[in-house]
Amino acid sequence: MAPDRERLPVTVLTGYLGSGKTTLLNRILTHEHGKKVAVIVNEFGDVGIDNQLVIEADEEIFEMNNGCICCTVRGDLIRIIGNLMKRRDRFDHLVIETTGLADPAPVIQTFFVDEDLRDALQLDAVVTLVDLKHVEQHWDSEEVQEQLAFADVLLLNKIDLVDAEACLAIQQRTRALNPLARVIPTCRADAAMDQILGVGAFELERALAIDPEFLTSDHDHEHDGAVGSVAFIEERPMSYKKLEQWIDRLVSERGPDLFRMKGILQIDGESHRYVFQSVHMLIDSTRDRPWREGETPSTQFVIIGRDLDEAALRAGFEACVA
Amino acid sequence: MAAPPTLVQERLCGACSHAITAQVWSADGELLAMATAGGELLLIDFRAGCEELLRGERDSSLDVVGFSADDRYLMAAGQDGELLLWELGGSGVRPIAFDPLPLGGHWLDAAAWQPQGPLLAVGAGRQVRLWDGDSRTLRIESPELKGTVLALAWSRDGRRLAAACHGEVLLWSPDDPAQAPQRCPTGSAGLALAWSGQGNLLASGQLDGSLMLWPDGGAGTGWQFRGFPGKVRALAWCDQPGRLAPLLAVASSDIAVIWSQKDRGAKGWTPEPLALHEGRVHAVAFAPGSSLLVTASSDGTVALWDGRGRLQQLLEGDGQAITSLSWRPDGRHLVAGGEQGQWWLWPVTLPPSVRSRPPRSGGFAP
Repeated sequence: MAPDRERLPVTVLTGYLGSGKTTLLNRILTHEHGKKVAVIVNEFGDVGIDNQLVIEADEEIFEMNNGCICCTVRGDLIRIIGNLMKRRDRFDHLVIETTGLADPAPVIQTFFVDEDLRDALQLDAVVTLVDLKHVEQHWDSEEVQEQLAFADVLLLNKIDLVDAEACLAIQQRTRALNPLARVIPTCRADAAMDQILGVGAFELERALAIDPEFLTSDHDHEHDGAVGSVAFIEERPMSYKKLEQWIDRLVSERGPDLFRMKGILQIDGESHRYVFQSVHMLIDSTRDRPWREGETPSTQFVIIGRDLDEAALRAGFEACVA
Repeated sequence: MAAPPTLVQERLCGACSHAITAQVWSADGELLAMATAGGELLLIDFRAGCEELLRGERDSSLDVVGFSADDRYLMAAGQDGELLLWELGGSGVRPIAFDPLPLGGHWLDAAAWQPQGPLLAVGAGRQVRLWDGDSRTLRIESPELKGTVLALAWSRDGRRLAAACHGEVLLWSPDDPAQAPQRCPTGSAGLALAWSGQGNLLASGQLDGSLMLWPDGGAGTGWQFRGFPGKVRALAWCDQPGRLAPLLAVASSDIAVIWSQKDRGAKGWTPEPLALHEGRVHAVAFAPGSSLLVTASSDGTVALWDGRGRLQQLLEGDGQAITSLSWRPDGRHLVAGGEQGQWWLWPVTLPPSVRSRPPRSGGFAP
């Protein structure tokens, strides 16, 4: 695998219809950020394509292993990016726009599963746009929930069209669903460029930014089938072996329902912290830096998924204490 | 062990500005065309001793290039989604460009000329378009495939055309519309297709790391071989007959494998892995007229093997990944291209351990 600095960073842009993806794309393409950005769109539409590398793709889904969601990838990206990487010297960041009705998981999985893309590219962040004015109407749609659940950066867009109270309510609701994402309220998708490109959300070294308030507060339970999240914090050291077995069992039984997991782990007898993340059944974990002076070692673990049984998950997690 | 014989003595080389994506020789071996990721198309005319840049550097790549069977036309296509065609007048005559033919905005990277015929097949989205060199027109063709066409190959007699996409290989006879198309399910995406001469076997290299083989022009029950270390990205049949089937070379991850058929049973195919390269094997090709195999890798090396998988010689360019390979039809000259745009042409002497039939006639004066 090439060193990180040689791997091309990729931003995945999602958001329901009308949430402002094209506005954001045009900002990325015209902004003076000193980066040459290649963009893969599902339709040329209103994207300004002058002097920029904009490529149209058709969201072709390849289902492997009998259609298991966890083994589903974007075939068009494998082909097009494979071709594009031959002319790699002409750009230094790749942005992939998905259609408003797309599940982001196959895009993310493509970058972990495909042998060529895995080695040549580095997933930077999933940026999801939320239309503050209309999201309530679509809240229960599977696509919206998946787009929220997979986000590393959530742009709550069109803040100028709603009052502060409504904005706060949606912010809390998205927080409960996805406590890992950085939430940025925007007007006409005007987030700072460095909050969108070069985020490094999939680098394990920068693993976790859980809102401490989220970890301590109680959440309303959503109805059956809804997407939500649970977070655990544990001061006692964990057993690596027990955690490994628990997670393996969890993803093999519940993989399709477990969208993303992230954790910083305090392992029994280890001077270093471990960091962990997963996307459906794809698991990545590594020994990270030593615990710092003055830092209280602890384990923080977040699961985002569908139909999560918090009590059962907590029991499983706590059984992994060394 | 005695030092292997030296097969390659000298070389000719040159440079384009971008990664070389495809190289191909005219049937008479007098012209060599190469395309790059920077959109260049270079045509080298060996008899006239000159070269011409048919298309200059630009913002979109060319990914496929080919000469018609009668050397009358040259085609190229790529990112622009346009089919580019030139009429050739032979050595020393400047090619005449046709107007580009837009094929619906798809990135074009699969195309193949019909052997012994005038047709050019081009994958455009879920369809295969056919350009007819006799009437010089484009035909709307092929039943709709289940997915984007990823690879195309004609049977050696030019009668059957195979197109691979995710989930199936579609087989049909463009010259015989009455014959119903045949769909062979594959369960994953086919990345490379190749037909053998002897036995009319069709091989498909799959994204899921398997190799599929169908005997008798696709009519027979197929085999599927699993266990490759990665996607099966390149295939080549030897044109020398074997006892049952010719040798088949397959590239996956950093190995090449030579398959040979020992008997007709399900386990009758035997693999001989060629482990040497330290990077992805991008291309495999048997020399026309012999069982000399060449493999090219992203580690910057090109290796020559005999048909039993014994290394004959290792060639090195200048370290850049080798992305493309093509044998001159005489089987005695090999061209390779790299990811920085460098290309090398090597004259090759056949080693004694390699079976061969007399090479085709035809002069060659680099």
